[in-house]
Amino acid sequence: MSTTQMLKGILDGCLLAIIKEKEVYGYEVAEKLEHYGFNTFSEGTIYPLLMRMQKEQLLTSTLKKSTAGPRRKYYSLTEKGEQELERFITRWDYLQSNVNKVLTHEYGTDK
Amino acid sequence: MNIHNTPLSQQSKTFLEDLRVYLFSSGKNTDEIEEVVEELTDHLLEAEKKGKSIEGIIGQSPKEYMEQISNEMPVDYMAWFKYIPIIILVGFSITILSDLGRGKLIYSVLEVVGYLLIAGLFLLATFTGLKYVSGNHFSIRKQALIFGVLGGFPMLLFVGLIYLNRMVETPTIHFGLAGSIVIGVMALILIIAVSIWAKTWILIIIPALFALPDVILNQTALQENTQLLLSSFISLGGIAVFLFISFKMSKD
Repeated sequence: MSTTQMLKGILDGCLLAIIKEKEVYGYEVAEKLEHYGFNTFSEGTIYPLLMRMQKEQLLTSTLKKSTAGPRRKYYSLTEKGEQELERFITRWDYLQSNVNKVLTHEYGTDK
Repeated sequence: MNIHNTPLSQQSKTFLEDLRVYLFSSGKNTDEIEEVVEELTDHLLEAEKKGKSIEGIIGQSPKEYMEQISNEMPVDYMAWFKYIPIIILVGFSITILSDLGRGKLIYSVLEVVGYLLIAGLFLLATFTGLKYVSGNHFSIRKQALIFGVLGGFPMLLFVGLIYLNRMVETPTIHFGLAGSIVIGVMALILIIAVSIWAKTWILIIIPALFALPDVILNQTALQENTQLLLSSFISLGGIAVFLFISFKMSKD
């Protein structure tokens, strides 16, 4: 399985976490993801996700003028988005600790 | 926003232009299209400043990426709503012209009022139906069913009106020769104008396929029953051929 496939679903939570930190526009989100080490997937992937999350009312956006170039769309979390982030963190903790347990157990018996 | 005034690479400009057309032809709202194109322009500008290539941003297949974007945007049914009054007017014009083919225009009050009422009802039903469908996520089949019922209902009413008109006597309106010609010319101009605007032959070819076989077969010595049979055969066959050709052409 490729990283991109594994990332599906998890990326949603990462976007929520990044946007919760501060109001950001699309390119900033991509830059932050890259900064955190996600550099294997195409950056454009975030836009369909952002659009869907906005449709699901997890995000809101405002258009602001930028110094150069086109207007920028800034995203921020809604209350529903914050709740979704909390649920994501719970799910992620659960998943992560179980996967870790499986992996360490496997390694443990191998040794 | 004009992407051509930006220092973007030609490849990015082409992609953005393609995206805009793709979304537009998928029936998306123009404001929303502009918003997403603007957002991606901004992203591509920033990314190109850092020396990234477009493949790294939208992935290997631009078409696939456009589809992903398109899937997240609702179809803008209200935009299609604008076309419906035009469709009704064209429908009236075709009816008027085919009536004119049989002589001067004579309509009963019942017909005129009935046509207007049914057209109004059709508009209202379509309006409500579109709002209902665009607000919910239905399967294509369910949508087809809804629009099929909405489209079929006025058809039934029209048929009902024709029968009612035969049974009930109401005052008739005679337009006379001059009046008939004026109305006919107006109807013809409307059909031609809409055809040019929509760049389609369909509005001229379909009515012609219905009307012309009648006119031509009338000149022959064939029996009336044979004429009727032949005329409907030519009409329906001709329409099938026309639809087949336009389908082939649109695929190329």
